Amino acid sequence: MREVSQRARRRLAGAGLFLLVVLALALVAVPMWLIRPFVPQTPEGLAVAYALRRWAPLGTVLAVAAALALAAMVWPRARWWSRAAVILAFVPLLGAAWFVRQNMFEKMFAPLLHTRSAPAAEAGWVETGEPVLAVTLNGDAAAYPVRQVAYHHVVQDVVGGVPVAVTY
Amino acid sequence: MWRAEIDGRRLGFHLAGINNQNFLMQDEQTGSWWQQVTGEALFGPLKGRRLDLVFHDEISFGLWKEEHPGGRVLRPDDSAPGREFSKDWEAETAKLRVVTPAPPGDPFAPREVIVGLSLRGASKAYPLTALKQQSPVLDSLAGMPVVLVVGDDGRSVRAFERIVDGRELQLFAKPGGPPLRLLDAETGSEWSFAGEAVSGPLAGKKMAKVYVLLDDWFDWRTYHPGTLVYRSLQPKVTPAS
Repeated sequence: MREVSQRARRRLAGAGLFLLVVLALALVAVPMWLIRPFVPQTPEGLAVAYALRRWAPLGTVLAVAAALALAAMVWPRARWWSRAAVILAFVPLLGAAWFVRQNMFEKMFAPLLHTRSAPAAEAGWVETGEPVLAVTLNGDAAAYPVRQVAYHHVVQDVVGGVPVAVTY
Repeated sequence: MWRAEIDGRRLGFHLAGINNQNFLMQDEQTGSWWQQVTGEALFGPLKGRRLDLVFHDEISFGLWKEEHPGGRVLRPDDSAPGREFSKDWEAETAKLRVVTPAPPGDPFAPREVIVGLSLRGASKAYPLTALKQQSPVLDSLAGMPVVLVVGDDGRSVRAFERIVDGRELQLFAKPGGPPLRLLDAETGSEWSFAGEAVSGPLAGKKMAKVYVLLDDWFDWRTYHPGTLVYRSLQPKVTPAS
């Protein structure tokens, strides 16, 4: 009787491990699916993506911790293929915990970490007809070539003492 | 372009996603998600708050340099050379498909470039091609008389409230080459592309600037539902006899 219940517990723990892997992958995949380019977004979809993104860093860490506890239950007296499966389960679990801490959008469009300017007369990389976003605040006249801002999507600067986010 | 502050608290922004082809940004301080084109926080602790718009122009570099020879220009990103858009990025982007459905009877093609005005809660879109042909365009939005002007470069657009000292001005283009000058019918003063009277009885006066956004029609329509549209008068064509 004791052996049967131990086997049942190991099976439940294994199922739990599987579910944790699914959950961790969902925390990664669902927001990416909802906010993929070239499909329309809905307010509800965005709300779900926001919530999942917000809780994913904590959620994936909790999933890893729970998985470790379950793995400890499965491991003793398990066959070699059960143990292999347990180890493999940690690949997506740890991968998800790492992935949700990356900014994929900033991997596609490198953010501008240090905003630097050149005097207008030295700005040879900008052609005369190229559009710029131009602002003057407190006597400080700054131009942000649209081509550069469009790539980074957001450029942060201080103009005339005012912190601005230049976006396109 | 937004003031990167809320309640006196500086905000740092990161690219966070996309919402119907307009991007979302996240602030480091609260994690809230902001819509790029409206400056409104959609999710997070600052949901519902709006960033203050910093008045700015989208004009050609040559025109800006003439007006601000002592100004400064954003340097390219030295840390990631080669990671940037090519010079023909605008043409490439214009080929990308639009995913938001166009309502029946949509007045313009989705990627038609429009000049969008927002004033006192009202919005209006002016097709850039119409403005180029008819500049200066006199109009009225939410009861405010406005003028839209295309610069000497044929692509920079500015808008102004054409009221000076409480008097509404009728403006038309002064014939003759650059620099661009407008004349007002009321006093005959000459006005520059900067909205300042450079000669005549009103010399030294300035018209108040109105912020304009150059945008694709589909994006403007998505974020300004119920926007008015400018329909240019079609010239009558006399059939050849």
